[in-house]
Amino acid sequence: MFKDLDPLLHNQLRLSIMSLLMNVESAEFNFLLEQTKATKGNISVQISKLKDSGYIEVKKTFRKNYPLTTCSITQEGIQAFENYVQAIAGYLNPDK
Amino acid sequence: MKTSTMETKFTEQQSLQVIQEMIENTKAKFRDNGFFYLLWGWLVLIASLSQFTLMNIGFEYAWLPWPVMMMGGGIASGIAGYRLGKESKVKTFFDTAILSLWLAFTITLFIILIAAGAGRISWNMANVLIIALYGLATYISGSMMKFKPLIFGGIFSWMVAVVGLFLPPVYSLPLVSVSIIVAYLIPGYMLKSRAKTNGYV
Repeated sequence: MFKDLDPLLHNQLRLSIMSLLMNVESAEFNFLLEQTKATKGNISVQISKLKDSGYIEVKKTFRKNYPLTTCSITQEGIQAFENYVQAIAGYLNPDK
Repeated sequence: MKTSTMETKFTEQQSLQVIQEMIENTKAKFRDNGFFYLLWGWLVLIASLSQFTLMNIGFEYAWLPWPVMMMGGGIASGIAGYRLGKESKVKTFFDTAILSLWLAFTITLFIILIAAGAGRISWNMANVLIIALYGLATYISGSMMKFKPLIFGGIFSWMVAVVGLFLPPVYSLPLVSVSIIVAYLIPGYMLKSRAKTNGYV
């Protein structure tokens, strides 16, 4: 009946990051920070978790001597996000 | 909602809301302020009108405004494009598509210019083909942005190109001027005023 919700995605901040990355090719750390209004520390932790699970790809480069972190979603991440949305739909419309 | 309790109290409804909100934030917001349309519109208009005038007064190097204007435009676009790329914190599929479109436009433009420069086609035919080519780029950009003035500008350029095929060669430059006003300058100014009202520059 009820599918288990992916615990990695069933978290407000991680889900926010994944939703943002679903729609763009890549986004800088600061963009994710602005959009989610989370704290730097919290968002860093969540990005690492998503990265370790293979849902997102993180590239660290430099711009004018400042570190620049760019994130993008992976195929695995897209699949996980789609599964999650389907599972949520199952919860909201249990009859279907 | 407190951050500390989020792991446990995050409901399905809330999760849908989060997804919706974030999608809203990343919706392909087109923030074109018309800069490139105005820059190239004016450069092409000035170049075509001045070549037409210089030809009519019998100046030998009447084509001279083109390389000057186009090189200036190329440098200005390069700098502006580089700055824009550096400022934006996010790269959307829309950005990539627009960039590829104008890159492909430039390459095709060069092939037409080489064909005319090598004497394979007349310069008047090159003008007509170039009108059709920027009609294509304008039409696609307009469709992607869902901005009707650009879509109309593209269609108008195609019509002008067809007319140009059958008119005496002397009309090809005035045709360039007319189509650039409709395809670039008018939509460019509309984008600019829209950018001002919406509060981005």
